[in-house]
Amino acid sequence: MMALSDIVGLSGMAFALAVLIVPLVAARVTGRAVLLYIVVCMLLALSPFDGLSVAGYLRGFFGDLSVASLLLLVLALRRQVSGAEAEGRMGLLALIALAALAFYPFALGIGLFDPYRLGFGHFGFLAALLLVALLAWMRQQVLIALYIALAVLAWAIGWGESNNLWDYLLDPWVAFYALGALLKRSVRLLRGAPVSAR
Amino acid sequence: MFDRRVLFGIILIAFAAAFYKAANVPAVAAFQYRPAVVANVAAARFDSRFASSRFQTQVHAASLIELKDRSLRGFWFSGSREGAADVTINSALFDPVTGEWGAEQSIASRDSTQQGLHRYIGKVGNPVPMRAADGRLWLFYVTVSLGGWAGSSITAITSTDEGVTWSEPRRLISSPFMNISTLVKAAPFLYADGTIGLPVYHEFISKFAEILRLDQSGKVIDKQRLAAGGQGTLQPVVLVRSAQQALVLTRYSGNESPHRAKMMTTVDGGAHWSAAVQSPLSNPDAALAALVLADGRLLAVLNDQQSGRDNLALMLSADGGVSWRRVAVLENETATSVQDEAACLSRVAALVKQSDARAGVSAVSLERYVDSAKAKVRAGDACSFEFSYPYLMQASGGDFHLLYTWNRVFIKHLSFNQAWLEQQETQP
Repeated sequence: MMALSDIVGLSGMAFALAVLIVPLVAARVTGRAVLLYIVVCMLLALSPFDGLSVAGYLRGFFGDLSVASLLLLVLALRRQVSGAEAEGRMGLLALIALAALAFYPFALGIGLFDPYRLGFGHFGFLAALLLVALLAWMRQQVLIALYIALAVLAWAIGWGESNNLWDYLLDPWVAFYALGALLKRSVRLLRGAPVSAR
Repeated sequence: MFDRRVLFGIILIAFAAAFYKAANVPAVAAFQYRPAVVANVAAARFDSRFASSRFQTQVHAASLIELKDRSLRGFWFSGSREGAADVTINSALFDPVTGEWGAEQSIASRDSTQQGLHRYIGKVGNPVPMRAADGRLWLFYVTVSLGGWAGSSITAITSTDEGVTWSEPRRLISSPFMNISTLVKAAPFLYADGTIGLPVYHEFISKFAEILRLDQSGKVIDKQRLAAGGQGTLQPVVLVRSAQQALVLTRYSGNESPHRAKMMTTVDGGAHWSAAVQSPLSNPDAALAALVLADGRLLAVLNDQQSGRDNLALMLSADGGVSWRRVAVLENETATSVQDEAACLSRVAALVKQSDARAGVSAVSLERYVDSAKAKVRAGDACSFEFSYPYLMQASGGDFHLLYTWNRVFIKHLSFNQAWLEQQETQP
C-alpha cells in the first residue's frame, strides 16, 4: 500500500514528464486529443521497469514538485489544448522568482536566520501569505491567489512528504524557470523588442 | 477563468485548515533530563573486542543502543567501499553477560530503501538508533539519490521487536532544494513532551550544524540552525545537562588554525543557542563522541590531534566543557613510522591481538584479520592507521560502551566501567 505522498509525488512527476514531452512528440495536436497523449505518457512513466518506474527514477533525482510547478504545468497543458494563454502568468512567475531569491540563499546557509523554519506553521508567515492572497484576489490576480491558496491547502492536508509549507510553494526547478523567464523578458524589454502585457 | 467567489472560498478553506494545523504544532518544550546511572562496582573492568564479523569488507559509522533485555544492538554500514551501491546497513547483537557479539545481518540496503520509498536511491550510510517515548526502536540513516554525501537526506525505519524486523522506510523532509544535504551522526535526545531532537548537519554549498525536531510519528516539526553557514560546524553532539541546559560539540572542518571542535550552549531548553565558539578540544576534521556522566562531568572520545586519525583519546571535563583533560589514550599509532611491508603487517597483527583476544588465537584466524586490514593500512605503500567515528554510550547498569571504526575494516568495541574510569583519572 503506497503512501499518499508517494502517489502524489509519482503522479506529479509523471504529469510533468508528459506535459514536457507531448509538445515535442505531438506538436500539432490540439484539443482534447492532447489529453489522450498525456494519459498514455503518464501511464508509461508510471509503469515499473526493472523494479522502479521512470517517474520513480526522476523523483529520486529531482525530488517532488511544488504546487507552483504543477500549476504552471497545468497552464502549459491548457495552452496546448485550447491555445489560451493564461492571464497573469508573468505576474505569477515574478512572484515565484522574487520568493526564490529571498528564500534560497538564506535557507541554504547564509547567516543564522533560516527562513525555512517559518514553513512549519509560523502564524506570522501564514498571516502574511493570507494578506498577499487576499490582495491578489481583490486585484483580480487570479493565478497568484490560486497558487498561494492551493499551496497552503496542500500543506494543510499534508499530501506530500514534506511538513514544510515552503516545499509546496517552491522547488528549485520552478525557481530556475521563473528566474530564466524573467531574465529573458528583461533582456527583451531592454532591447526594446515588443513584449506582451501578460 | 475562475469564478471570484469560488476562488475566495478556496482561499478561506485553505487558510482555515492551515491555521488549524499551525495551532496544533507542539509548543517549545524543555529537554527531558534523566541523570545517568551511578554504579557501585569496585573492580575496574576494561574489555576490548571486534563487533563486526565480516572480512574483506569496509565498515564505518557505527552506533549503538541498549535493548529492553539489557543486550546491546550495534549498527554500521558495510560494503566494498564507502558510498558503493553494495553498501548495506548492518546490525549485530552484543550479550553483556557472555561478552560476545553475534553475527551481523543486513537490515537495510540501497535496494530495500528504493523499493520502500518509490524513488531512486544511489547509496545508504550513517545509521543512528533511538528509543522513542512509546518504546519503539527507530533507526535513522542517510540516503543519497544524486551526487556525494552532500546530496544526502535522512530516512527512518522503526521496529517493534527490538530490531529483528523493521518497517517500511520513510523520508524526513528537512531542507528545501531537493531535500538534500541533511545527515545524521550523533544520538538523538528527547524533549520533555516526548518529541525528538535529532542533531544533524548540512553539507551542500555551506556547512553547518542543525537540530531537527520530530513529532512522535517522525514528522519534522521544526529546525534550528546552530551556526551560520561557512563556520564549518559538522556532526553536532548534543549533551543535555539539565531540563534547561545543554552543550553542543561539533566537528570542525574549516580553515582556522589550530583546528578545534566548536561548541554552543543553551540555558532555555534549546529555544536559543549561543554563538559557536572554539572549544579547547583538538579536532582534525573528524567525528567525536561525548556524554554526560551521573555527576554532571562530561566524557568525550576523539582524535586528539591536529591532523590524521591515528590517535584516539578519552577526555574529561569538570566545568561544562570549558577545560578538558586527557584521562586515557585508547589508540596511538601516530609515532608508528614503518615503511617495510613485513614490519607494517606485523604491527597490524599486534594491534589485532590487542583488540580482540579471540582474533589472535589461531594463526589462520589472525591472518584473515591482517589480510582484511592490509588494503587500507598499506594504501599508497605507507603504513597508516585510522581509528575514527567514535560512538559512546552508557548502559542502564552504568557500564560504558564505545564503538569506533578500526582502520575501516572492523568495528571495534571497548567496554569499561566507572571504577576503571576513576582509576584512569588518578593516574598521572
